[in-house]
Amino acid sequence: MAEVLINILGIATIITIFSLVIVMVFKMDRIKQLEMTIANLQKSLDEMDEQAKLIVRTDMELNKIQEELDKKITGLYALQRLSRTISTTLEENQIFKTIEPDYLEELGFEKACIFLWDDIAGKFSLKMDIGYFEEELKVIQEAVDGDKNIYLDLIHNERAMSSATLPKSTMLREKISQEFKVRDFVIAPIIPKEGNKGLFFVGTLNLDISLTEGDEELITIFGNQIGQALENARLFEKTWRAQQELENKVEERTRDLQMALNEVKIISRRKTDFISAVSHELRTPLTSIKGYASILLAGKLGDIPEEVRLRLDKINRHSDELTHLVNDLLDISRIESGKITMKLEPQDIRNTLASVIDLLGVQLKERQIEFSSNIPDNAFMVLADATQINRVFINLIGNALKFTPPNGKIIVNSRKNDGQIQIDVTDTGCGIPEEAQDAIFEEFYRVDNLINQQVKGTGLGLSLVKHIIEAHGGRIWVTSKFNSGATFSFALPCA
Amino acid sequence: MSLTVGIGLSKAQDPILAAKEAALKARSAAAEEKISLAIVFASTKLSYPTILKTISAYLDDCPILGCSAAAIIYETDIIKEGLAVMALGLPEDIYLNISCIEGIKNKTAHTAGEELGEKLLYGFQNVRRDLSIIFSDGLLKDSSGLITGMQARMGKSFPIIGGGASDNLAFKKTGVYFNHDVFSDAACGLLLGGKLSFGIGINHGWKPLGKLRRVTRSEANIVYEIDGRPAAEIYAEYLSSSIAELRKELKRIFILYPVGIYLSGEEEYLLRNLISIGEDGSLVFQGAVPQDCQIRLMIGTKESCLNAATHAAEEVKRDFLGKKINFALVFDSVSRYILLRRDAQKELQIIKEGLGKDVPLIGFYTYGEQAPLRATNYQGASRLHNQTITILGVGI
Repeated sequence: MAEVLINILGIATIITIFSLVIVMVFKMDRIKQLEMTIANLQKSLDEMDEQAKLIVRTDMELNKIQEELDKKITGLYALQRLSRTISTTLEENQIFKTIEPDYLEELGFEKACIFLWDDIAGKFSLKMDIGYFEEELKVIQEAVDGDKNIYLDLIHNERAMSSATLPKSTMLREKISQEFKVRDFVIAPIIPKEGNKGLFFVGTLNLDISLTEGDEELITIFGNQIGQALENARLFEKTWRAQQELENKVEERTRDLQMALNEVKIISRRKTDFISAVSHELRTPLTSIKGYASILLAGKLGDIPEEVRLRLDKINRHSDELTHLVNDLLDISRIESGKITMKLEPQDIRNTLASVIDLLGVQLKERQIEFSSNIPDNAFMVLADATQINRVFINLIGNALKFTPPNGKIIVNSRKNDGQIQIDVTDTGCGIPEEAQDAIFEEFYRVDNLINQQVKGTGLGLSLVKHIIEAHGGRIWVTSKFNSGATFSFALPCA
Repeated sequence: MSLTVGIGLSKAQDPILAAKEAALKARSAAAEEKISLAIVFASTKLSYPTILKTISAYLDDCPILGCSAAAIIYETDIIKEGLAVMALGLPEDIYLNISCIEGIKNKTAHTAGEELGEKLLYGFQNVRRDLSIIFSDGLLKDSSGLITGMQARMGKSFPIIGGGASDNLAFKKTGVYFNHDVFSDAACGLLLGGKLSFGIGINHGWKPLGKLRRVTRSEANIVYEIDGRPAAEIYAEYLSSSIAELRKELKRIFILYPVGIYLSGEEEYLLRNLISIGEDGSLVFQGAVPQDCQIRLMIGTKESCLNAATHAAEEVKRDFLGKKINFALVFDSVSRYILLRRDAQKELQIIKEGLGKDVPLIGFYTYGEQAPLRATNYQGASRLHNQTITILGVGI
């Protein structure tokens, strides 16, 4: 029984051991699998960590670029805003005032100054400063003047200089850093085409700012902008001065002209007065001469021989002409000096014309000249002085008669024009050369032609007519072609 | 009496003019109520006691808390040179205590924190305590110690929120404002109690990268060994540069690639900024990195940063359950400002929209933020954070 039991136990043990071995084998496999999984996980984790490093490095790179970009964009914004203000500033000192610390900070700097080279004084003068104390500026000014050749070279070569491009620990870089008390800096030339050139300095003590070539470019552009603005301001100043000068000159000339005009007026008045006086003085003896000649001619002092009569006739006739001349002169001077005032009344020019034709009818017939007139119903009433307007017609038609050869024509037309009545006296005479057309209205002017050499005249008629018309507030002019007649036109106010 | 809030800003260069302008703006916005407290942030150039004296003179001689800032946040604007004031008129049933601790370097940050906590608790025996807001010198070596110290007195779960004072990115000297004084190497804070409601949102948006590694030897904010190797060696490996080169570019790198401490249950890693690399190959961080904790290298993008801001604003809103937010303070890491650069304003617009356009908001760009953790297993304990956008919303 015991044996059986032992056998069974033995078999059971064997089975158990066998099963345990099987389980162990399976477990071992599982452990191996797990170990492998762990190893794989570890590997993945390590790889992931390596990837993380890669990501961080890429991110760092990107951030650096981003930072640079941001700095540039901020700088450009600042620059743009500054340019806008600067380019609209037309006063030199105001330009420097527009550069404020805020803008500078956005460009990444906290210290700045601008020096302009004064050619005459032979030194730099400080125009703007930010971030320095007065004592510091004195030292900087001395240093800049002391090393002026370095800075003048910079202006001359039109090239900027900065701690970004100057190699580290060069003498020059150290020197500038020390002189301006900064760590990093950019110095850009300011080169306006007009006037003093200069330099624009910016700097920073900030250790975090790494200056790049981009910064140098930006500040160079800014320097150019300042130069451009200075140029504009100077040109503006120049133009403004020139204009001011011109205005002064115009004023001066106007004053001179005014004075000259006054003088002319005075002389003209004196002339008028003189003529008036002389005419009066002439009239008295003329009246006597004519009176005595008439007495002699009338034979009141006894008979006179035929020879003497002829001479006396001449004296009589010439005295008349002279009286006529003196009267014309007197009238002109009276009108000029305003001694005669026009009595303006509505006048029917048809009546005036009729009386004038009546007066000149014999001569027209003698010379076989045809007279016609066309005065429409809407253009015959003018506002004028009756006596004076009569003289105008006598003179104009008389002139036409004088210069029109036999079988010629004289025509008088009238029409309404702009609230005035225009009257044209046209003849078929020899005409007036163009160059003389203005002068004929002047006193004593006579066109040099054959008729004038034969026919006597004073050269006062047209002048008198012009004076009369102008005293009416009207105007007179002539249109003519040499050898094909002339038209004298004048306009008078409508009645 | 209700809680009144008025904010004012000035960009004037003259300290007195700037203080007057900002204070008067805040005054008129606060509807002429009596002012019980002013919170002030000013750029380094204006960071002088005169501005504090002027501000309190125009605001009922109220107490002042605040600090210097690399840049000020005012609504959705970023002001590099200027001064912002938030004038608060608190209802009578809200209790306020303020205090300050100086000369932190002469003791440990932990003891300084304990002292500050003690002072703030003074007179608060039978009042419900709501939260503490603190401003500390952002250049302190061990800002975490300050918080653990405060927690030792005020309770581990007591919410402490605030930011590290910053300067003009020179990392040389910051100022903490307490009444009429400007202190360096100091921290100031306020304790609010009564029936305030508040909401806190904190996020950074940085994502982990690479292997999870273990800090094998560290002491407070200094990490000596990671995975048994010199810490700096491992950090440099990721950035493929020599340790010497790393030292040179540190300022740029620490912003972009901080170290994240893994906290189980927390949505995001707790970030630590690198401040310097020790001669012995150790890494010096802005906050504590406990031994045996697990860390990873972190990477941030503009997009993830902006998403974090959306998230933080949502968290504040969620805490309020639809109630009115009276005002908000924003502690935004200066690192985010540097990373986002021209998009920095977008972040503020996101916050403003998230909280509601009518919520007055000021803040500043910090050197480190303090805020509670959210996961339940940390019981709301506050920690020092880096690179986060931290928003505090306060209402009644």
